[in-house]
Amino acid sequence: MPWSRFDRTYEAPTGGRQITYCDALREGIEQAMSHDPRVFAIGLDADDKFGVFGSMRDLTHKDRVLGTPISENAMTGVALGAALSGLRPIHVHLRVDFMLTAMDQIVNYVAKWQDMFGRQGKVPLVIRAIVGRGWGCGAQHSQTLHGWFAHSPGLKVVTPSTPYDATGLLLASIADDSPVVFLEHRWLYKNTGEVPSELYTLPLGKANVLHRGERLTVVANSLAAMHALTAIEQHGLDVDLIDPRTIKPLDLDNIIASVQRTGRLMVVDYDFPFGGFGAEVVAAVTERSFDALRQPPVRLGFPDRGMPSSGVLERTYYPTPERLAQAMTSMLLGEVVRS
Amino acid sequence: MTRPHTITRERGLRLLRTMRTIRQASERIAALYPTNVMETPVHLCIGQEAVAAGICHHLQDRDQLFLGHRTHGPAMAKGLGLRPLFAELYGRTTGCSRGFGGSMHLYDPEHGLPGSSAIVGGSIALAVGAGLAAQLQKQDFLGVAWFGDAATNAGVCYESMNFAALRGLPVLFVCEDNGYSNVMPKSVHSAHDIETLAKVFMPTVAVDGTDALATFAAAGEAIASIRQGGGPRFLHCQTKRWMKHQGHEKCDIVTVDRERDCPIHKLEAFLRGSGLASGAELAQTACEIEAAIDDAIAFASASPFPTPELLEA
Repeated sequence: MPWSRFDRTYEAPTGGRQITYCDALREGIEQAMSHDPRVFAIGLDADDKFGVFGSMRDLTHKDRVLGTPISENAMTGVALGAALSGLRPIHVHLRVDFMLTAMDQIVNYVAKWQDMFGRQGKVPLVIRAIVGRGWGCGAQHSQTLHGWFAHSPGLKVVTPSTPYDATGLLLASIADDSPVVFLEHRWLYKNTGEVPSELYTLPLGKANVLHRGERLTVVANSLAAMHALTAIEQHGLDVDLIDPRTIKPLDLDNIIASVQRTGRLMVVDYDFPFGGFGAEVVAAVTERSFDALRQPPVRLGFPDRGMPSSGVLERTYYPTPERLAQAMTSMLLGEVVRS
Repeated sequence: MTRPHTITRERGLRLLRTMRTIRQASERIAALYPTNVMETPVHLCIGQEAVAAGICHHLQDRDQLFLGHRTHGPAMAKGLGLRPLFAELYGRTTGCSRGFGGSMHLYDPEHGLPGSSAIVGGSIALAVGAGLAAQLQKQDFLGVAWFGDAATNAGVCYESMNFAALRGLPVLFVCEDNGYSNVMPKSVHSAHDIETLAKVFMPTVAVDGTDALATFAAAGEAIASIRQGGGPRFLHCQTKRWMKHQGHEKCDIVTVDRERDCPIHKLEAFLRGSGLASGAELAQTACEIEAAIDDAIAFASASPFPTPELLEA
């Protein structure tokens, strides 16, 4: 297994090099393809000049980047079949909404293949999708849905928020012998951050503490984590901000330890609320650490309806750092905040 | 099929042994099924044995066969042993899927069975993925998609044929057409003609799927072409399902004429008629298979059940 050769973890960025989230993803894919000839990428428009919003542009191993017809369901099965036949595919979707046409393959096949046969085999498959709002994109081009994928046993769900996490978690996902759904928020693509130029992976299932504080635990992933960090820093709030980085496996121990210190929990979940990731975190913390909670836990996220298009409606629909700051401040004042 | 067959004695006997193993194992499953020793839905393929034998005798262990829910016949023909099959049906740890799969999810990667699926149609795409893996790695193995007539109503079937044809992938599409989707006859479930549609994407051959020699011959031509880089091929094998869609009972909506429809009767008559085998020899084969089934059932019955802790591992 060539992947074992660089099983190297950095606790925090070590170099000074700053690159964008998009370039961090691209670098991870380039490194994976150079490192292992079994890695290939497949997807609708994967091979066009835009290179999946730039994350796969000008790759060295063009022969291992395959465009596909608009047949997401079968192409997911193709990727799975290839993973069962000696390759390590990366199936990429320009929007998570398109990926839904493949839910039969993702849930019935990809997620279940190992359990169905007594976990005897490997399924080294990464399914990448770009998630989240664009600009007036409406209900079918703006979804996130990480909670939905996490609902299905057999899928790991990774939602990097920083360039550093993007590379390290992507390489860990490609190296993993089980299926991983890797969700990248399009509004993070231009963010910059420190990324080591040498190969490294980050562990799946280990949270990252983005801000230390004593009076409130905020759990937030992906774009929500960056918005929460902005809110905390701009308003100087005494908040512990935990980015789980992987929704599944979920680093619950880290979250519980924080709540036991702060006594308060808010989950910022940029997804639909019903039965979602936020609900899961609140339920798990309540079950395991009920006595530590001084106030009712709070979930912040989207309304329980499809995304609108008009800018006026979008600005109401989507949370912002300012609204997160208001909610955190209210909670810190002991006020009841509605989910 | 009316064309004369040429076949060696050895090949004929091997085809027969495979078909008889499938038939006799299936009959034993049907006999035992009401006793609930097998707590899993079974989809038997009595009457369809010639398709499994005729095609799988051309396949190598490295060829990746992806099955649907009607698994037993082609899995056995591809190399799955009676012991791991029966142990899986009995829900034991020695089963090919360690008791996690049951009848519809059989697994034997050493014999090119990377798994089977109980959702009609979807596993076709996986076989195309195996073909893509062979092409990208420049390796000499096939993906084999094995499905019924009803799967041609599923979009994934066309998505898969389209992609296989676009890339010229080494994939054999096997449509085991027993004429029924559960209890729906083809006239009710398909407005299309399967061959006409398949021909849009790739060379397609129709074969009498109750005739092992005809199926063997057609599969041989198709597979040789694929191995020579000729791209995907489609075999439409017409056959009859003697049993109900699921379970141990005979199907009450399919009329079976044993002379005309029984693949084993046909091959045995041919082998005897052409002097390739004697009646005593054939009876001996049946006895040996019965003993192997006895052994598999004894093995399965004596094997341990999975422990609940395995669900937490």
